[in-house]
Amino acid sequence: MIAVWLSELVVFALVVAGILAERPAALAATGGALVAAAALLRFAPPLRTALAAGFARHRAAALAGGAVLALALPLALRASPYWTFVATLALLYVTIGQGLNLQIGTAGVINLAGAAFAGLGGYSVGLLTLSAGWPAWLALLMAPWIAVTVGAVLFVPILKTRGHYLALVTIAFGFIFNILMNNLEFTGGPQGLKNIPTLRLFGWAFTSKPALAGVELPAHANFYYAALLVAGLTTWALRRLHDSWLGLALNTLRDDEIAARCCGVSLTRGKLLAFSIGNLCIGLGGALYAVMVGFVSPPDFDFGYSLVMLSVVIIGGVDSIPGVVLGACLLLPLPERFRFLHEYRLLLYGAVIVVMLLYRPRGLWPAAVRRYR
Amino acid sequence: MSAMTAPILETRRLTVRFGGLVALDGVDVAVGPGETLGVIGPNGSGKTTFFNALTGLYTPAAGEIVFGGRRVTGLEAHAIARLGIARTFQASRLCLALSVFDNILIGMHARRTTGLADSVVRRWRFRREMGAALERAAHLLALFSRELPGRGFEPVGQLPQIDRRRVEICRALAAGPTLLLLDEPSAGMNPEETAELMRDLQIVRAEMPGLSVIIIEHDMFVIEGVSGRVVAFNYGRKIAEGSFAAVAAHEEVRQAYLGTERARA
Ligand SMILES: Nc1ncnc2c1ncn2[C@@H]1O[C@H](COP(=O)(O)OP(=O)(O)OP(=O)(O)O)[C@@H](O)[C@H]1O
Ligand SMILES: [Mg+2]
Repeated sequence: MIAVWLSELVVFALVVAGILAERPAALAATGGALVAAAALLRFAPPLRTALAAGFARHRAAALAGGAVLALALPLALRASPYWTFVATLALLYVTIGQGLNLQIGTAGVINLAGAAFAGLGGYSVGLLTLSAGWPAWLALLMAPWIAVTVGAVLFVPILKTRGHYLALVTIAFGFIFNILMNNLEFTGGPQGLKNIPTLRLFGWAFTSKPALAGVELPAHANFYYAALLVAGLTTWALRRLHDSWLGLALNTLRDDEIAARCCGVSLTRGKLLAFSIGNLCIGLGGALYAVMVGFVSPPDFDFGYSLVMLSVVIIGGVDSIPGVVLGACLLLPLPERFRFLHEYRLLLYGAVIVVMLLYRPRGLWPAAVRRYR
Repeated sequence: MSAMTAPILETRRLTVRFGGLVALDGVDVAVGPGETLGVIGPNGSGKTTFFNALTGLYTPAAGEIVFGGRRVTGLEAHAIARLGIARTFQASRLCLALSVFDNILIGMHARRTTGLADSVVRRWRFRREMGAALERAAHLLALFSRELPGRGFEPVGQLPQIDRRRVEICRALAAGPTLLLLDEPSAGMNPEETAELMRDLQIVRAEMPGLSVIIIEHDMFVIEGVSGRVVAFNYGRKIAEGSFAAVAAHEEVRQAYLGTERARA
């Protein structure tokens, strides 16, 4: 158990050091240490199996340790509001990634318009608060359902289709969404929606600076904790759905539609359910994003971001719940850390998808056999 | 089947067309409770099409299917499955990446009583049901082999051919069907494996005496060994019906098989 916590702590320390290292030498040192740690695991199978066994045996302790470290992260990053923001973004991508993974990974519903469904959530929050005058928290609860409804109404007729047809239609949908947002009057056109009011819960405004254990944190830490809660809850719920009759039925539909139907699985119901639950998570992520940054505009939800969401799923591991968490935590911060990569971000994501599909199609953390625990 | 018992399944003038091709042509077949019906016929004679029509994968152009006293013609495949028709496929249709247990548990999909809320928040209910389901899956596997239950959490793709066929039969049985359709279970097997399969089928027969079975087979030893009554198809039509000996001796059946043998040669 101690070993489990210790290894978690080492990774945490290295990551924080890697983020905060200013001088190239320090950065190189921590980067080198991370690579060395990864290589050690890769090329020392006994160590790897021992560690894996340890984590499996002390699963609860490992999760608790991870939770404590996740809670402590804003403390470690308190000097940098920017990095607190990036960490929050990664958590939003965990939420979105879980939804997308249920669609693509579990059910084989290839949705390449993740950004558009996040945008539906984000724009809904904007319109509900600015035009309808709803409080942010209520808009936040409502917005994901709008993403679900739009998705269900538009896609019911084609969810059943096989092969790449659905994927193509979702790409088209993504572009249409963007064009509409750019041109419609009430969504603010290219300027988008500005000054979305911030979240206010029990009198606490999310723009005020919180303090943890007597240490003042940047205001973004509010959203960090909100996003952590949401990401934790969606991951927990989707893990349980995946390891249940639903996950099994969706996997079977994905792998052999005819066999599934002959076992009593309804194709329409299964795919619609997966699509809707997925869009609920994606819309929620987009809605939280809108409240966090306070404005939404068309480029925030363009095809490039659909690609980012897709790579989170593919890198982490298709159909793998922990894989999505890993994928989001790797993929979002990395280009931010290496700003020179930022320019070529989309190129990088595209390349990463191709390389992964070629050499490690099941992802960094492949889906495990379902044990129904 | 005695004339007294009502059939569990009855087709009347069942017809399936693919464009101009009549793949099934006015077929009348009846199966009684607990009966095993053998279906033979040369390649392309419409045997699999018959199963696909029964299970709702193909929509009949004419005729009707009555199952358990209910007209099921035109129902969707999943709805028919829920009424109690389970099947295996000529070319295996297992999900090779999923575990052996997963491939059997999906057979119990229609019998589940716990829903999404039970899966997430009232997890204990789901765990209780799933525990029983896993036990049932292991029990079904144990009918055929002593080692298989222990390999339940391995991907089914790691099993040898004969065991995969067994898993597929277990999946069909897991649904608790009243009618089981087996589409050439011995396809691609060597004589030893076929003998094992025969034994497996006899186990199924002994364990579930009330279950009605329709079995398509090319292997005449299997047909003779397991089925009471046999029907023969040719060009989508039923050309003979009766005991194995009678059908095998039937002139048109001999012609049909001779014809294909010649065509192959
Ligand atoms: N989906 C389909 N579309 C078009 N034609 C089909 C389809 N399914 C079957 N057929 C045709 O219907 C005829 C009967 O095919 P079927 O598969 O039922 O034969 P079978 O008796 O099962 O043969 P085998 O012993 O080779 O399995 C064949 O001519 C086949 O080509
Ligand atoms: Mg056939």
